[in-house]
Amino acid sequence: MTTEISDDALRAEVRAWLKANYRPEELRGATLWSSTPETRAWLTKVLEAGWATPRWPAEWWGRSLPEHQARIVEREFAAVKAPGAGQDRGNLYANTAMAYGNDALKAHFVRGILTGEINMCLLYSEPGAGSDLAGIRTRAELKGDNYIVNGQKVWTSGAMTADYGMLIARTDWDAPKHGGISFFFLPMKQPGVEVRPLRQVTDESHFNEVFITDAVCPVDNRLGAEGAGWRVLQTALAYERSVMGDGARGPRNASAKVSLIDLARDAGKLNDPVLRQDLARVIAYRRLNDLNNARAKADLKEGTSSPIMSLGKLAMSRILHEEARLRTSMLGAASLLEGKDFPVSDDANFLSLNAYFTSIGGGTDQIQRNIIGERVLGLPKEPEVDRDVPFREVRAG
Amino acid sequence: MSQTTTEERNAIQASVRSLMEDRNTEADVRRVMETAEGHDPAVWQQLVELGLTGLVIAPEFGGAGLGPVELELVMEETGAALLASPLLSSSVLAAGLLTAAGDAAVNKRLLSAIAAGKTIATVAMTGDAGTWTADGVAVSARADGDKWLLDGRANYVTHAQLADVLLVLARTPAGIRIFEVAAKAAGVTISPLPTFDRTLRLARIDFAGVAAMPVGTAGWPAAEAALQLVLVALAGEQAGGARRMFEKTVDYAKTRIQFGRAIGSFQAIKHMAADLLIEVESATSAARAAATALDAAGEGSNEPADAAIHLAAFACADAYTTVTATAVQMHGGIAFTWEHSAHLYLRRARAQAQLFGAPAYHRERFLTALGA
Repeated sequence: MTTEISDDALRAEVRAWLKANYRPEELRGATLWSSTPETRAWLTKVLEAGWATPRWPAEWWGRSLPEHQARIVEREFAAVKAPGAGQDRGNLYANTAMAYGNDALKAHFVRGILTGEINMCLLYSEPGAGSDLAGIRTRAELKGDNYIVNGQKVWTSGAMTADYGMLIARTDWDAPKHGGISFFFLPMKQPGVEVRPLRQVTDESHFNEVFITDAVCPVDNRLGAEGAGWRVLQTALAYERSVMGDGARGPRNASAKVSLIDLARDAGKLNDPVLRQDLARVIAYRRLNDLNNARAKADLKEGTSSPIMSLGKLAMSRILHEEARLRTSMLGAASLLEGKDFPVSDDANFLSLNAYFTSIGGGTDQIQRNIIGERVLGLPKEPEVDRDVPFREVRAG
Repeated sequence: MSQTTTEERNAIQASVRSLMEDRNTEADVRRVMETAEGHDPAVWQQLVELGLTGLVIAPEFGGAGLGPVELELVMEETGAALLASPLLSSSVLAAGLLTAAGDAAVNKRLLSAIAAGKTIATVAMTGDAGTWTADGVAVSARADGDKWLLDGRANYVTHAQLADVLLVLARTPAGIRIFEVAAKAAGVTISPLPTFDRTLRLARIDFAGVAAMPVGTAGWPAAEAALQLVLVALAGEQAGGARRMFEKTVDYAKTRIQFGRAIGSFQAIKHMAADLLIEVESATSAARAAATALDAAGEGSNEPADAAIHLAAFACADAYTTVTATAVQMHGGIAFTWEHSAHLYLRRARAQAQLFGAPAYHRERFLTALGA
């Protein structure tokens, strides 16, 4: 344990440190997620000062701070929009490595992940394993000190620049499906890993397909025991969910900053009583979600957790689909057009398609409803016909 | 801002919940709803002792001097337990109107009696139009020497058949004003109406040259203030009722077995439940946010409470009707019987969605409050 420090003293220390060290202009608009020499220098500075991992002990660059003090550190950084603090809560890759990696893996990866020297991506979903993630068919076979990996992954963002991918692959085909999976840090920069951009429904490319052919992964890069990968994945997914919730990206053009009310006014429909009912209903969806989130935050402060947290994603997908529908209906025939010369139409059409990013990605609405039903409301699970069957006998298609 | 702490508010809510569990079980509700009075005088006395009849009445008139935040929490409990009572009519709507009208002499007499539970008052606000808007007022007042005489009709008056005192919105040549009339005054005909929600009491009131006493000089603006308070209270009732019916339905889905499985294991049911949870949580958030906004407005905040209150009014009404209607479907045949409680909640939800303005009206007001 480091010596205890009062909240006020800590706050003052962080503030003074930021004042002395943080030069936003030096980052030149780069975000934490676009690794540049400037961001790496900054993240290293944050790490060495103890702010990247304030909850962790000194041997992992931390200060052993209790949760509420770590939050103070995060809030001070957030107040000046400085990135990099509190990664011991928010950095999915570093946390997963710390929770399940052996000493060699931790020593090799954690610091680089925290400073942006090592870039990571996720190799989870496959063309045949979307909602049913435990149905993956990418195989990893142990040959000497290495696993040889073959298969195909999809929906991987950042695969082009990643040094390593967090991979789930099947190591045992005779175990039931959840029991035969192992978890790896797969080196991406090798001949057996081919990354191809995926053209999305919105006509953009933010995700990739990853084709893996006889790729090599050192045995030290396995997290957890062989066959225990599903449990490691659950931990990783929990970290991911805890920092998600921003929902889909915003529109391509600035036009969608125009409120629904302004759009109705511009379309000459603000006096249409039928449209006004629709407008009020759709505006309310977002407001109610904001109120729910505010109440959940207040509950958390008072020490009671709230089921509302798990509703956010499902609520957001309704908001995004409904707002896009209303934008389209207010535009009428103008929604036939797209492109930069028709930014309002372009945004309405883009938002209509991109809403599926939230209602499918990260667990479809239907899977979310199962999760809410089972984990929040305590309703029993559906029987799973493939649960206790050796995986090689499970139907695929 | 509300001067109670979270602990105090929790204690108020817990005491009401405990009273409801002891004295307002479903069997009690079913018994009381079949009586002519439509409420239990013994439970009324308990409400008095808990200070609920004077909850939002100023201490100088014998009330607890609390505000919309505490009121909303209390109503979540009475709504959850389907309390049949003139509490909303007398201690919220009438008390709110008198407080807003600010007639010191009248308040000293009437608010004190309402707080003590000795007088039950209600407000006759709308005519046959049933709009609870200034347009809907269908009683007129004419000066006759130094007296005022009322003629016309008020409709959908809550708990008028129980009331000792009627506060009547009436048109004068100088605009709408508030008048006080004894329920038993000559020329007043109170006709009880059959209600779809058996826990509610409504009446039509005909006025034929009824002598009335003006209350203050604030007319419709005072009615708007009273409506804001009653809408917050009603939103609390709706949020509480929706949550209770939802909990009953989830419990049933865990225990009802068909095809060898609890029906809640079927996605068809599970997905309905997940969607309803969003409705229930949103209703609670909306009702509490409206209470907080009205509380802040009462303290002179510039933040207009209008948007928050009308949002809660339609969001809670819609959530309550959706949750209770879907609950019947999720239960199946058992909820198609009189003996099952689902219809009591569904009836109440449908009734409360019309009282003091329907959802479509509140959506309009919400948009207007947003400047649209």
